[in-house]
Amino acid sequence: MRMIMMDVMQWYLLLCAVVCIIRLILGPTTADRLVALNILSGIVLAFLVLSGVRHGRSIYLDVALVYDIFGFLGFLAIARFLKDKMHGEGE
Amino acid sequence: MIIILLLLILILAVYALSTSDLLQGIIALSAVSLLSALLFYLLNAPDVAITEAAVGAGVSTVVFVGVIRYTDRKDHSK
Repeated sequence: MRMIMMDVMQWYLLLCAVVCIIRLILGPTTADRLVALNILSGIVLAFLVLSGVRHGRSIYLDVALVYDIFGFLGFLAIARFLKDKMHGEGE
Repeated sequence: MIIILLLLILILAVYALSTSDLLQGIIALSAVSLLSALLFYLLNAPDVAITEAAVGAGVSTVVFVGVIRYTDRKDHSK
């Protein structure tokens, strides 16, 4: 029963990722795309942790940890770029 | 599940190639790297997935954004 629930949860998260990617492609502004990428990162993080718990192997959790640290740098860089563009190019 | 992931990676890669706004291309490329890390993970290669998540999704996005900060955001060849 527990395994079935974890499998259903994985498919549900994959469906959420598909919907998020549709917004990432169609989003009118760049901020929409950035938020969609951030939500996609959260969904993939939940997927990685769930799959690690399902298989009972602790090395799978390291992937989620490393992605959570380094993915944040990318979002920070894109958000900083958008902020500089919004407030003019001069610094 | 793997086939769906491959289709999503294909769609995002085609979008990243065809868009003329380079920042949107970077965002799509970051999503490609994220989903390919997930793909490596599902194919039982967690060490490759760690490297892909650190280098592909993290560092390369910062480098690309730094590059288009000093150059132009629009692709003038289209």
